[in-house]
Amino acid sequence: MSKRTMTLNLSPEEMDVLEALSLKKDLSKTLLLRQALRLYQRVEERLERGETLFFEDEAKKQKAEIMML
Amino acid sequence: MTPPGPKSISQVALMDAVSGAGVPAEFWQPITDKNLADWEAHWRPAIQEQLVLLSDAGVERHLWPQSREWNWRKKHNALGSSLSNESAAVMAAGVTQGMMIVDLDFRARIEEQARQHMVYIDFLEVAPWNRRTLTGGAPRYVGIGTLMIGKAIQRSLELGFKGRIGLHSLPQSNDYYANQCGMRDLGSDANYNKLRYFEMTPDMAERFLMRGERSGR
Repeated sequence: MSKRTMTLNLSPEEMDVLEALSLKKDLSKTLLLRQALRLYQRVEERLERGETLFFEDEAKKQKAEIMML
Repeated sequence: MTPPGPKSISQVALMDAVSGAGVPAEFWQPITDKNLADWEAHWRPAIQEQLVLLSDAGVERHLWPQSREWNWRKKHNALGSSLSNESAAVMAAGVTQGMMIVDLDFRARIEEQARQHMVYIDFLEVAPWNRRTLTGGAPRYVGIGTLMIGKAIQRSLELGFKGRIGLHSLPQSNDYYANQCGMRDLGSDANYNKLRYFEMTPDMAERFLMRGERSGR
């Protein structure tokens, strides 16, 4: 698969989050950002179809809608 | 205008079920119009012939091939430009021998790897002439399902998912995924038509790939 390269500028806080998530998920920063892009595209597609994104806590019987920009 | 071909082709091998000889094959990514045309022109009539034989033999419908209603063109068209879905096909003798669609947004369920990323196999089917049937039909080529499972594991490794894969199995394939692929059976999933859910850990994936290397797969 051909790949294209880009430079990404992140604030120290953003880099901290990226590094923490990379560590937690045991993924490289590149692989983690690719996964985030896939997920973002999927969420966007579902929202465009009129669907809603929720987080649900079955134990507490709580359901919270995620507001997306 | 010629329809677009696969973006990637890798050389693989199947086995002729009668002679045991290796058969050169190709692994195409993604599924192309040629594969969908083969499904329409070759798979569907062959499935129909098998259904007639099963019906004539009085075999109960719940024992008929459970993927018989899958429409690969619809499934493929539904993928659109999603980065989360990838598709692949196995080609041999100029005809599509198997097809697969995977989803890259799923999370694992086995406790030791819960919520970790994995490759989820949405659909996997081998051509009807490559299946053993209840009316005595013998497969032409063997190793297609195993090849595609191996490719899903490799994709999981490339993505940093450590070989983790998962799938919901049609009842007729439960034994294959549990005993031949060595996946863990997490039982019937009430949220997915009560199909049994199977998952593979990195260790299971490594064992699967090692078995493949030993058998020359």
